[in-house]
Amino acid sequence: MLFKRKKRTADIDRKGVSELVRALGKDRVLTEIEDRLCYSYDGTKQKAVPDIVIRPGTTSDVAATLKIANRHGIPVCSRGAGTGLSGGAVPLQGGIILDLKGMNRILSICPEDFTATVEPGVVTKYLQDEVAKYGLFYPPDPSSAAFSTVGGNVAECAGGITGLKYGVTRDYILALEIVLSDGSVIHTGRKTRRSVTGYDLTRLFVGSEGTLGIFTKITVKLIPEPEKIETLAAFFSERDDAIDAADLVIENSILPRTLEFMDHMSISAVRGYGGITLDEGVKALLLIDIDGTGENIKHDLPIVESACRKKNALKVKVAETGKERNAIWSVRRSISPALYTIASHKLNEDVCVPRSKIKELLQKIDTINEKQEIFVANFGHIGDGNIHVNIMYSDEPGQEEIAESVVQRVMEEVVELGGTISGEHGIGNRKSQFMELEISPQELSIMKKFKDFFDPKGIMNPGKLFPSSL
Amino acid sequence: MTTYERQKFEVFSGLKGSRLLMSDDWKEEVSKCSKCGKCHTVCPVFLETHDESSVARGRISLAEALLDQQIVYTEKLRDYVYSCKKCMRCRKVCPSDVDYEKIISALLHGVAENMGIPLLPKIIFRYILPRRILFDILLKVSSRVQRFMPMKKRGQMRHLPLLFMGKRWIPTLARKSALQKFRKTKKIKNPRMRVGFFTGCLINYIYVDVAEAVVEVLNRMNIEVVVPQRQLCCGTPSSTMGDVKSTKRLAEENRKVFESLELDAIVSACATCTKAIKNDYLRILGPSWKQMSDKIYDISEFIDTFIGDIPGVKPLEEKVTYHDPCHLLWVRNISEEPRSVLKKSSRFVEMDMADACCGGGGIFTIIHYDLTLKMLERKVNSIEKSGAATVATNCPGCVMQIADGLASRNSTIKTTHSIKILQEALRKSEART
Ligand SMILES: Cc1cc2nc3c(=O)[nH]c(=O)nc-3n(C[C@H](O)[C@H](O)[C@H](O)COP(=O)(O)OP(=O)(O)OC[C@H]3O[C@@H](n4cnc5c(N)ncnc54)[C@H](O)[C@@H]3O)c2cc1C
Ligand code: SF4
Ligand code: SF4
Repeated sequence: MLFKRKKRTADIDRKGVSELVRALGKDRVLTEIEDRLCYSYDGTKQKAVPDIVIRPGTTSDVAATLKIANRHGIPVCSRGAGTGLSGGAVPLQGGIILDLKGMNRILSICPEDFTATVEPGVVTKYLQDEVAKYGLFYPPDPSSAAFSTVGGNVAECAGGITGLKYGVTRDYILALEIVLSDGSVIHTGRKTRRSVTGYDLTRLFVGSEGTLGIFTKITVKLIPEPEKIETLAAFFSERDDAIDAADLVIENSILPRTLEFMDHMSISAVRGYGGITLDEGVKALLLIDIDGTGENIKHDLPIVESACRKKNALKVKVAETGKERNAIWSVRRSISPALYTIASHKLNEDVCVPRSKIKELLQKIDTINEKQEIFVANFGHIGDGNIHVNIMYSDEPGQEEIAESVVQRVMEEVVELGGTISGEHGIGNRKSQFMELEISPQELSIMKKFKDFFDPKGIMNPGKLFPSSL
Repeated sequence: MTTYERQKFEVFSGLKGSRLLMSDDWKEEVSKCSKCGKCHTVCPVFLETHDESSVARGRISLAEALLDQQIVYTEKLRDYVYSCKKCMRCRKVCPSDVDYEKIISALLHGVAENMGIPLLPKIIFRYILPRRILFDILLKVSSRVQRFMPMKKRGQMRHLPLLFMGKRWIPTLARKSALQKFRKTKKIKNPRMRVGFFTGCLINYIYVDVAEAVVEVLNRMNIEVVVPQRQLCCGTPSSTMGDVKSTKRLAEENRKVFESLELDAIVSACATCTKAIKNDYLRILGPSWKQMSDKIYDISEFIDTFIGDIPGVKPLEEKVTYHDPCHLLWVRNISEEPRSVLKKSSRFVEMDMADACCGGGGIFTIIHYDLTLKMLERKVNSIEKSGAATVATNCPGCVMQIADGLASRNSTIKTTHSIKILQEALRKSEART
């Protein structure tokens, strides 16, 4: 061996650990500080160091972990790829972090039933690629699909750019195997396209953010892959024109695969980045994919184009090659990093309002930020009303407070407009303080009862979802 | 609410550890990481382990903890730092443009300074590598001795100086090294260019045939090739062990050698050496290296850029596929040029995942031999599936690794450097006309 090694005792030695080691084996239970640090964060950049990292390989490993955790009252925070944007996978109260990334097998793909069953750690894109080999399509497509896990997607009910036409993760989950807080295993749903037997427990668990149970097997619904996709970019000098154009497309009974919007500030951020030229005069952008058969597209594409023209588009560009399509979408993909050129910190809110209220929402945000003390960039899935409001702030004193007060007021307006404080990223600890804006005390108490029923000791991802007052 | 009592988070005191990590330039890089996780998609180590400690995001969080003085240098930390292949794929995809190389180099340096470098490598880096003749002799002796050792493990050292450290063996050393072979520069009448050839250790001592091909091909193209006799190891082995001092010394010696010659360009046929002398030296020697750095080319890049249509070449009948060496593709974005040259000299076929890492790479292969083999297996699978008779690449380290993988399966597919394909095509074309 190249190096001499000192024998090192584990950093922690406490009740539970030795039981876990006995049940799962040494390699699956990590307690040294270096490992714990590597599992202390998620995509929010928040950090809380767990006491124990468990890397289960099977459902029974998960069940054994929970049994022991439940007995000792150790908090358990599950983690997929840790890409969440609401703090879900940050072990706020320490305890166990359950890293499910290693449970990553596709268990079956059934083309005849249009279903696939996977372990929770499967990366979404991998599932999409594998089913595509059978001509099948798994539509939920968060921008993080290439690195987030199906388990994490189910737990957050992740959305994505195809939501308008194809819905979100919730719409594709047929059945779940779930380990509950006491280590017992339940199976909800069936592998059938429909089932109305009893309450829909599957739906209750989708979007539960690791607070009710841990998914160890997930059966998803698949659909046939559309034959063809066309991409179009429309450039506008007025924000409202872009919104009107999006409306007009839908009024014409066309449901695009994606209908994305970028406002003035988002455009100015990506001007130097993206693959297409964006003149100074361009103040709003629509990026539209339509899909279907060749015939469909031949019918739809001119309608989409003319809708944009009718609403004063400066230019409409249809991608002619794969390269052009990539160039168009690269503009959208560049937003996140490009925003950091405006300011070094970002609060990324994923609010959603009824489609008819989008214009009003954006006006309200303008008013909130009237004094322009801070940069706000809005972009997102306009087809669903899901707008990403990105509040950018710098290290200068006072900026953070301004940013937070802007968020607070945006949330109030959203709820006022009949919208929701989270369209896809979930609540976690980042938005739990706003829960009471949207959810009535009565509803919240029902939710709490579910929580208490499934997790009487409160060990499942404590500190998430519910406001701290509850 | 649980009544779980949190483990008291230990803060180490008396931190001799974090001293080196205080320089501001890489501190800033650490804070740029948005923890998005996108580096998961490309990291070859993470692909095998699915463990955060194996990927840029995890190592950055460890760097963060060092900066915050939450941890010190430990063996575990060293393992995690050493388990990075420094392939820089993550850097390429990172949306926040984190300069991960700065971070990992600082970590490696920190490990070396705080935990020391084991004696043997230290002697090699500091006393042997800077002395060519001593290196020549010791290498010969050590390779003889190794061949009699009972534990002949399959798999080989990617960077020659590490030969002394592992229990692996390497292919036979050439009788006469490339440097010895090309003592004298073959004069070309009215050369179109005069280039220097940086051989690197592997080509110098083992793949002398690659050096011959480089010289022959360039000579045929009316280019004079100078092989400076005093050039030394590029410094990659010492820099992957964080020995900044030794690396700097090697870089300075090499600078003297190449700056003293009047050359139009410098070529290298080793992806790792090219990266080291072109990119790393900029960091090590500072901006004054820029002028030289701009003149450094990978051999295929050079041919594609300056020759373009290769006069008189007829492609071989043979089906050839290409493997992208990490250091060429991910650090330098070179992927088209080698393919373009191969297309002119053979029947080129693309393989699946040509850009997947072959698993070779310095100290990683010593510490994580099992992972190395897994990566190699994937690679060999795609090569076999491509239907090619030969796999070509632009890095002798990859040649060594892939050849070993194919040999262990008794495959008939040959592994070679792509310049050898061009050499053969040129020779055959000449014979035909
Ligand atoms: C660049 C980027 C782009 C993004 N784009 C989108 C987007 O377009 N749309 C979108 O909706 N989101 C997006 N996100 C957010 C994030 O990727 C999603 O929320 C994703 O679903 C999280 O998956 P994960 O595997 O990383 O889960 P994690 O972050 O690890 O966990 C998320 C939550 O799920 C719980 N959990 C994880 N696995 C399980 C399981 N097996 N059982 C029970 N609970 C579990 C965790 O406890 C946590 O509460 C983006 C994030 C990034 C960084
Ligand atoms: S340099 Fe390569 S091995 Fe190291 S973290 Fe980046 S992708 Fe992984
Ligand atoms: S891709 Fe870049 S920003 Fe994202 S986690 Fe990796 S290093 Fe950090």
